Amino acid sequence: MHTKSPLLEIKDLSVSFKVFEGDLKVLNGVNLTINEGEKVGLVGETGCGKTTTIKSVLRVLPSPPARITGGEIFYRGRDILKLKKREIPSIRRGEISAIFQDPLTSLNPVFTIGYQLQEIIKHSLRQQGIEEVSKKELKSRAASLLKETGMPDPERILKSYPIQLSGGMRQRVCISEALRVTVKLLLADEPTTNLDVTIQDQILRRLDELVEKRGTSILFITHSLGVVRHLTHRVYIMYAGNIVETAHTKELFSNPLHPYTRGLLKTVPKLTGEGVSEGIQGRIPNYLNPPEGCRFHPRCGDKMEICINKKPPLFNQGENQMVACFLYGR
Amino acid sequence: MNRRSRVGKVRKIKVTVEGGWVFHTLTFSLYNIQEYSMLKYIGLRLIHSLFVLFGLSLLIFFIARVMPGDPARVALGPLATEEQVQKLREEIHLDKPFPVQYYYWLRSLLKGDLGRSLYTKRPIVKDLNEYLPATLELVLCSFIISLVFGQVTGVLAGYFRNSWFDGLSRLVSYIGVATPSFVMAIFLLLVFSHILGFIPAVGRISIILRPPPRVTGFIILDSLIAGQFKVALNGLKHIILPALSLAVAHIAQEGRVTRSSIVDNIQKDYVATHVVHGVPTRSVIFKYLLKPSLIPTVSIMGLDFAFIIANAFLVELVFMWPGFARYAVTVMLNKDLNAIVAVVLIVGATFAIVNLIVDIVVSFLDPRIRLQRRGG
Amino acid sequence: MAGKDMKSNRVYAKRVNISKSWYKFSRNPLSVLGLTVLIIIVLAAILAPYITPYPEHAGPYTNFPESGQPPNLRHFFGTDTVGRDVFSRVIFGYRFSLLLAVVVISLSVPLGIILGLIAGYTKRKWLEIGIMRITDIFLAVPPLVLALAITAMLSPKLLNQMMAISLMWWPWYCRLVYSVTSSLRNEYFVHDAELTGARKGFIMIRSILPNCVGPILTKITLDMGFVIILGASLSFIGLGVQPPKPGLGTMVADGAKRLPAEWWMTVFPALAIVLVILSFNLIGDGLRDMFAVEEI
Repeated sequence: MHTKSPLLEIKDLSVSFKVFEGDLKVLNGVNLTINEGEKVGLVGETGCGKTTTIKSVLRVLPSPPARITGGEIFYRGRDILKLKKREIPSIRRGEISAIFQDPLTSLNPVFTIGYQLQEIIKHSLRQQGIEEVSKKELKSRAASLLKETGMPDPERILKSYPIQLSGGMRQRVCISEALRVTVKLLLADEPTTNLDVTIQDQILRRLDELVEKRGTSILFITHSLGVVRHLTHRVYIMYAGNIVETAHTKELFSNPLHPYTRGLLKTVPKLTGEGVSEGIQGRIPNYLNPPEGCRFHPRCGDKMEICINKKPPLFNQGENQMVACFLYGR
Repeated sequence: MNRRSRVGKVRKIKVTVEGGWVFHTLTFSLYNIQEYSMLKYIGLRLIHSLFVLFGLSLLIFFIARVMPGDPARVALGPLATEEQVQKLREEIHLDKPFPVQYYYWLRSLLKGDLGRSLYTKRPIVKDLNEYLPATLELVLCSFIISLVFGQVTGVLAGYFRNSWFDGLSRLVSYIGVATPSFVMAIFLLLVFSHILGFIPAVGRISIILRPPPRVTGFIILDSLIAGQFKVALNGLKHIILPALSLAVAHIAQEGRVTRSSIVDNIQKDYVATHVVHGVPTRSVIFKYLLKPSLIPTVSIMGLDFAFIIANAFLVELVFMWPGFARYAVTVMLNKDLNAIVAVVLIVGATFAIVNLIVDIVVSFLDPRIRLQRRGG
Repeated sequence: MAGKDMKSNRVYAKRVNISKSWYKFSRNPLSVLGLTVLIIIVLAAILAPYITPYPEHAGPYTNFPESGQPPNLRHFFGTDTVGRDVFSRVIFGYRFSLLLAVVVISLSVPLGIILGLIAGYTKRKWLEIGIMRITDIFLAVPPLVLALAITAMLSPKLLNQMMAISLMWWPWYCRLVYSVTSSLRNEYFVHDAELTGARKGFIMIRSILPNCVGPILTKITLDMGFVIILGASLSFIGLGVQPPKPGLGTMVADGAKRLPAEWWMTVFPALAIVLVILSFNLIGDGLRDMFAVEEI
């Protein structure tokens, strides 16, 4: 279905935020791989470091307070973290793109949609070597991009300001901006969280179609398991700055291994009407003084002696599944 | 779009001013009850300004007339006879009750007559015509200086925040905000005129030069029109110190506001979006970041202008600038009631006009306000 | 139930935690410096008769043989045209400046707060509009100009100056409190309080006012400096503290006639003005940091 050569490889990424009480160790050695043409989900609770991960990939972490304390991010074999400042835009323009969580704030309020969209298209085209593009050409490209995302009356939208659009429309604009040229990788950070459920569905379907058509790899960040189940090939489960489990989507849902994943899946209400489980006890830990060893151990029902002292590495389980838990290896 | 739902809501734009010249928090509320058009809005604002000026005249007139002391006696001096004083009292309606006095005054105002000054013994309109341009020249000059330097330092300090430049501009701005302009005037006078001696200390132009024929009343402009570059240069040399001493506080103030608004906006998602999508840094800073960041700065400019006028009252005294403010202080010290009322009203009217212009500029910068006014 | 919600919501304004507030304030060393300088100035002003080298120089004292001396060990800031010690006079000058600021703030702030609360909370449109239009009238001219006009029409002395500036000052607070109040009027915790039948005065004072404390305190600190500037400006023109009493502005004006030769007569009082305003501004910045909502 898709080739196996890795497009993006995150290895042992650690990020901490300096605040006045001390260092927040938000990412604690994240490992994540996306292959070409693959659709990958990244699932976790709010505040577990999903957004920090993609911001590190895009090199837009606000620094200070954020600091990358360790690890590497390889994009097609090059370490993104070692790129020089002037080399970064070329990656942003043609290779990796992103959609952010909140469509209400990710558009500039004092410029028209058309102005913003056309400028972004212009720079991306330049990156591909197309220097001279007429204004008319830019405009029709922008309009057709909006049309692709299912926006009615794109000509009028181009002349509007963000405040005149609804949330769903703004997210369509954001998608158009992200997919302005054929990018290799799209990082979608909870793209539909703040929208109505019916609009969510429309937009997700449209996004999936567009990605499929272009052969773009996508990293889908969400806390909704339902979305992941339908849209992705492979899933990473993240907990408190660590990847705790990864597997093919089907396998993960049929055979979850990590206690956290199991708890997470239990929280999904079933149509059969079996009782909703109580989910996972406790809360996500404080990043100032995160638990030693496995960060999940204070909430874990299967806690062992070793979990308190030692951080579990990712153990291979079968061909495509990996889990960071001492229940499955030493 | 949900046009209906926005109608009738209150939109708030909160502008927090750093440093605290006077407005710590300036809040504009725009009631979006009807669908305004720009012209309608300007019309309403003008009516509001007229109302405020009317109220102001009533207030100042009232205070002037209930004060103890006899203005006529003050005007004529202790040597005048009782008959002379009585005659003057009748002439300026001082013997009538307050509402009648106000009615007479208002009636002549509508005819464009502000009355006679009891101090200069001339029609006040004539006095204003003579002194006002000098002050406007000074105020505009210092306004431009504060605008340019304030913006540049603010943008640089905001973008390179926490750098040495930011630290330096912060330090300078603290001192700028804390130094009253008359103190700044004295310091500048001391250093540049008395110690270094290369800038003339007082007046609009050197006495040996003949002022150019009056067209606008602005000496620098007039001499340029007349082609007398030497006079223009001389005028520029004279205006630089007073204009600078008026401007310093506002450079500091505007710089701080711009800086904090740049810092505010730079953390916004949309800036990250522009960056992530590969828009060049130059374009992000000078377009996508600068335009929204200018809104709070422009919003306080009306206030800044008013304070420059007020401070000109003192700075003109220090530099012997033959302007309106010096005239105003003189008439105030001489309890020249008609002139005092006129002076206060002129300042109020200038403030109202500048504020109106500022509001119009802001609404062009910010589509959120503009669209709201038009009702979406 | 509603009562419990109301209680938890009422403290929408943060509860003041002294040690944490102090920590936030002191994070900016400049604010601490400002506070230290201000405390020294205030103490010096209060204790002026006991600590100044020549307390009698604050009045109608002349000693012509010693006039016009530049700064030396006996007279740190030199002496003025009639031989009075400038240092002693500056310390006494602070007394009038600080007194002015305190009187103006304590007269105008309560008035502004009360009117602002009423205008912001009342449901009677005419009352709201009436109060705010009167405020507009006072704000239509920079305070210096109107205060100047009023002080001049009364007679020039410190008391009149205080009255004139107070009259100019309440509208700023009225507008500030009004803007906070009118934005909170429709919040749930206010509705809750109304539903439980609380009296209007109670709601205004217990539910709404705590939310204004931060901005008001910050503004007061900054305004103290501003009122001092205004007072100094008025006395610079000759409309404030009357000689022979030492007003900082008056001293600057008198000394300015003797520039540049006898610079100390004007430079030291001028620097004294700058110092006190600077320290108020630094404290104001610290207070703003203190009341700012922490963002992570």
